[in-house]
Amino acid sequence: MIEFLEVTRDYGRKRAVDGLTLSIGKGEVFALLGPNGAGKTTTIKMLVGLLRPGKGRILLGGYDGVEHPREVSRLLAYVPDEPYLYEKLTGREFLTFIGQMYGLPNPTLKSRLEREIGQFGLHDFVDQLTQGYSHGMKQRLAFAAALLRDPAILVLDEPMVGLDPRSARIVKDRLRGEADQGMSVFVSTHTLPVAEEIADRIGIVDHGKLLFVGTLGELRALHEEELSLEQIYLRMTSAPETEPGELSPSE
Amino acid sequence: MNFLWKERLPIDATHPSLALNPARQVLADSSVSPPSRDEERRLFWRLRTKLILRQIRETARVARFRLSLVAFLTVVFWAGLFILFAEGFQFLQSTLDHPAIYEQTVRVIFSLFFGSLMMMLVFSTGIILYSGLFVSPEMGFLLTTPARAEHLVQYKFQEALFLSSWGFLLLGSPMLFAFGVVSESPWYYFLLVLPYMVAFVFIPGSLGAIVCMLTVNRLPRLRLHFLVILTGLIVLLSGIFLWYAARTQANDAFTPEWIETVLGRLQYSEHRLLPSWWLSTGLLEAARGASAGRQHVAWSESVMFFAVLVANAMMSQLLVIAVGRRWLRGSYSGLHCGAAKRKPAGMTLMDQMIWIFTGFLSPQIRLLIIKDVRIFRRDPAQWSQFLIFFGLLLLYFMNMRRFHYEREQQMWVQMISFLNLAVVGLILSTFTTRFIFPMISLEGRRFWILSLLPLDRETILWGKFVFAAAGSVFPCGMLILLSDLMLGIAPSIVLVHQLTCVLLCVGLAGIAVGLGAIMPDLREHSPSKIAAGFGGTLNLVLSTAYITAIVALTAIPAHYYLSDLTSWRRVTSGQSASWFWLGGGIVAALVLCTLTTAIPLRMGMRAFRRLEH
Repeated sequence: MIEFLEVTRDYGRKRAVDGLTLSIGKGEVFALLGPNGAGKTTTIKMLVGLLRPGKGRILLGGYDGVEHPREVSRLLAYVPDEPYLYEKLTGREFLTFIGQMYGLPNPTLKSRLEREIGQFGLHDFVDQLTQGYSHGMKQRLAFAAALLRDPAILVLDEPMVGLDPRSARIVKDRLRGEADQGMSVFVSTHTLPVAEEIADRIGIVDHGKLLFVGTLGELRALHEEELSLEQIYLRMTSAPETEPGELSPSE
Repeated sequence: MNFLWKERLPIDATHPSLALNPARQVLADSSVSPPSRDEERRLFWRLRTKLILRQIRETARVARFRLSLVAFLTVVFWAGLFILFAEGFQFLQSTLDHPAIYEQTVRVIFSLFFGSLMMMLVFSTGIILYSGLFVSPEMGFLLTTPARAEHLVQYKFQEALFLSSWGFLLLGSPMLFAFGVVSESPWYYFLLVLPYMVAFVFIPGSLGAIVCMLTVNRLPRLRLHFLVILTGLIVLLSGIFLWYAARTQANDAFTPEWIETVLGRLQYSEHRLLPSWWLSTGLLEAARGASAGRQHVAWSESVMFFAVLVANAMMSQLLVIAVGRRWLRGSYSGLHCGAAKRKPAGMTLMDQMIWIFTGFLSPQIRLLIIKDVRIFRRDPAQWSQFLIFFGLLLLYFMNMRRFHYEREQQMWVQMISFLNLAVVGLILSTFTTRFIFPMISLEGRRFWILSLLPLDRETILWGKFVFAAAGSVFPCGMLILLSDLMLGIAPSIVLVHQLTCVLLCVGLAGIAVGLGAIMPDLREHSPSKIAAGFGGTLNLVLSTAYITAIVALTAIPAHYYLSDLTSWRRVTSGQSASWFWLGGGIVAALVLCTLTTAIPLRMGMRAFRRLEH
């Protein structure tokens, strides 16, 4: 469903993503782990079409994001770590706008609105202007907007930041449930327990290079000792470095 | 709360909508078709309308007084301009006896006025569109939706065009209506004014949009340098033009030959391919419709020029759409993939100079000033417009000739010098409205840092006040000094001008910092939107009133002082009376400046102390 083919992206002289080749299947939850500045956000931005690969291609459902941005947008939904909401719209109006933007017919939109409002417990505030929402409320609304249209691919950047334990539980279970029904989920996170809990496979990236791809069991098998994911992760990744004179603006 | 709390799967499997699509296809939902072009366009239109109406309704609910005051002040400002322009046209009509010369003069005034504003519209639309299209978080969101690139560009272009052209409409419409009234134009002239102006703004606005998108697409990493080079070129070209148009022999001014020569030189502003010429000519044709025997010709000429404007406006829109469709996504990506340069770790030379020159202030205030200067100078999209304004003023002053006229003309020279002073003040007031007033609001998310700093909140405001006042004194003082030197003003009046300049800088800084603290908008990230809001408008109006009062308090006594110096009255009455009025005016200006600075600052500090975030 998602294929990275030798994808490279530079920021000036700094290589943010270096020859990434990766394939994520239908119904799979994939977690990308890595320290700050490792290239996770750049990878996600290329995946959702905000940035273009310098070299290589990214295919989603067979579509190249550079050549077919609209088809790719219809396939995927994206929840960034700081979602953008129109402050002068209510949560319901925002969800309706998203549904209409993706062409959901009115009866379907109405039914799915109720479904997502119920799933994410938005009843209490969905008819208030989003300008008064807390970070957690915004995040829940962004999840509802993303899942409203049953996307084939869901891309998440630090999905649990700002969510209270109950909401985090709902999101994790929902992700697992959606994946079981065929949705491909790509998660970038620092929160190792989240990856451990929901991911079918994990990838560890550092300095733009993919260091490992596989299941947690495969990762553990690489190490002789009985180590936690955190210990393995810390061993595999080093402190982020930057080229003198340059920084990656989005990392 | 309808939380579904099951061990693993929280999805309500019984929900009918989930049953609609049990197995996902490659394109998620085959029953869903993306909106058509028209539907998408309508969707954005509905979004825009809803956001605007919601904003107006909310403002009307929570700040009815503010809204009414803005409406009232706008009407007063418009009416004031209308009267001013009407007086001006009547003066011209009575001075220039021959109707052909009057018409030609008005044509040149229109062409120059709209030509200058056209240039400003190109740049301001381009710069505002750059922020909206390539920097705003909203675009980061919209680009991940299946919205068509051309609709995204159109959506943001409309916003940029509105923000850049409301000033044009506010300035241009009273002039055109005043001309219509003075010229006793037929009814359809008045009907045509607004459609003409709206059609006109689309052309320079579209040009600005295209330049902006092309610049980002072709020179994403050179954008700052490009902007600076372009600004320099414009200033240079304008200088050459001004020098060419205004050069004259010392004693030629205001003679019929001089008028004829200047009109001849300014003819290039009436180039047939300039949209400003289509606008001026079309409206002049509509205005002259009343003259006997030519009504139908004038009417059809005017409609023809209107059609030319509308056709070009539509064509330029199509070009914007085509450029946006082709380049938006690639340009966005290219811009955001540029390397961020590492800034010097220590103080730059400029920082060190500020640190030294502000040695009399507390270290905290000095650090705050350096922080504000760094933020300011690293945002060329903001200051480049003022560079153009000040550059043009500089060239205008440099091209003025010393006047060696008789006593009566000396009065005109003094008047011009005070008008120059007022113009510098007015440009400074737009600067303080655009940059200083939004400074507290822009702290927004960073406000917690300021709140937790080990210093009084008053210190933060003092820092911003000193930054604004001290930062503007030098360039404004130099400009006014240049103007005075070129006009050959008496040293005593030069001193009065410099003092007035300091009073203007201090007072305008006080108004902007005080009002900025009284009515901050901590949610808004765009300084142009903050400046265009109620607080910004009030700041501009109060600043204009302050400039008028200060200039009047110094100019009128100076006028009498000079009259006395050059008349026989001083032989009989001595200089004491004129010195008294000059000194009195300065003292009154000082008092006004103190009050205008202290009251808003004091109120601002009180509001700022109470501010919670």
